[in-house]
Amino acid sequence: MAVTLSANYSKKLGLPGFSSHFFSVSVEVELTDLSQVQAECAKLYQLLQQSVDKEIKQVGFVPDEFFGIDAIGQGQDTQQGGPHQQHQNGNGSHRNGCSQGHHKGSDGHSRSSNGNSDSWNCTDGQRGFILRIVNENNIDKQEVEDLSQQLYQLGVKHLNKMQASQLIEELLAKAGKPSGRTRWSQPRNQQQPS
Amino acid sequence: MNSLLAAIPPREKIQSIEKPETKPPSEAETIAGLQKIVSSSRLGTFLQCRLKFYYRYVAQIKKAKTAALFLGNAVHETLKAWNKTRWKENRLLSLKELHDEFSRAWEEQSKEEPVNWEGEEEAEKLTGWRLLETYMRQYGLYLAIKPEAVEVPIEADLGNHGLPKLVGVLDLVQQRRVVDYKTSGTTPKEEQSAHTHEVQTCTYAVLYREANGQRELGIELHSLVKLKNPKLSIIELPPMSDSQETRLFHLMEAYVEGLERKDFVPSPGFGCMSCEFFDNCRRWS
Repeated sequence: MAVTLSANYSKKLGLPGFSSHFFSVSVEVELTDLSQVQAECAKLYQLLQQSVDKEIKQVGFVPDEFFGIDAIGQGQDTQQGGPHQQHQNGNGSHRNGCSQGHHKGSDGHSRSSNGNSDSWNCTDGQRGFILRIVNENNIDKQEVEDLSQQLYQLGVKHLNKMQASQLIEELLAKAGKPSGRTRWSQPRNQQQPS
Repeated sequence: MNSLLAAIPPREKIQSIEKPETKPPSEAETIAGLQKIVSSSRLGTFLQCRLKFYYRYVAQIKKAKTAALFLGNAVHETLKAWNKTRWKENRLLSLKELHDEFSRAWEEQSKEEPVNWEGEEEAEKLTGWRLLETYMRQYGLYLAIKPEAVEVPIEADLGNHGLPKLVGVLDLVQQRRVVDYKTSGTTPKEEQSAHTHEVQTCTYAVLYREANGQRELGIELHSLVKLKNPKLSIIELPPMSDSQETRLFHLMEAYVEGLERKDFVPSPGFGCMSCEFFDNCRRWS
């Protein structure tokens, strides 16, 4: 009677930006008798592990912290073949590191609720302002992420409104721009009082 | 442009990054803008004297910065640098570094807007430095306590209360406590300060809660007092109460309604002696 031995080796690795990827290999071999099982297991384990390790080093597309944010604003998110599609098809699972849910609160904060990794904890206006400063001043997004970690030990997306405001101040200073409070200013009125 | 900025308090002295308006706004447009965005200084000025508010924010009459304001700004900037360093670099500035920061802040302000010192600039500068030294000696050695925010602008949309947007800059937040720096000529008394600064402290509390989604644990007024022997006075206030919040909102309502009516009458009193618009006010009819 033939003995069938099935072996499977899987590995999941965490990646930056709350991503991960996963690779699994399965084989089936036929053995002539049960005495071969132990040796065959050892051989297969080594073989499969080496194979998986060799392939899983190729991480392919990895989204950065701000991946998809611009697309949301431009309505590109739903298009087939866009960055999301490519990511999902080519690189295994992409999980959200955020454990909270996401909803738009009455106070204007965007909060987690649906597991969407593109959700930010600050307001939409702050998110847009951060992205604009970064884009217009060619600031490296990793630098922004590092600054956020340095100040709050949190990723940019997880900053609350006060923390995001502080980050904006730091980014504006870095870019040599006046403080973000300029938007509160009154336009100059040149007339004299009676 | 620089001299025009003289009439505006430092926190609101703003150089817009937007393109300048080609056509100056009308008085009605200026008032409409002031109705949409309120800060504690705007609100406080309006409550103190509506004509002063008019001169400062509607007519935007330029006035030279006073020596006391100049000194206060330089001290404030230096404390900001000190807090940023202990936060971001996890170290305390040495006294020499602190002095360099103070000198830099002084120079920057001098370039921006000269003050008529009447020969007292060096004496005022020394006063400012002694205040900082005092602060460092009496307070500034707690590296373990990390700031949560330094000089951070925050805004709160109070539209769901039928009120304008509230804005402000928090000097320092740490351990869920909002700290505000002040320089003064006299030692503040706790109960008086709690009352006279209530608009400001409640504004900060509203802003803190809006931005953090939680109540502050308290508000601290750190006053650096310009005495012969400078001293530090720290007044610790409890979190804003519900009735204080209601009171602030009523004051904001009065502000919006007053601007709507163009209610800019003077409020003659003891405060007029130090008002920069004293002469303008005497001519008002």
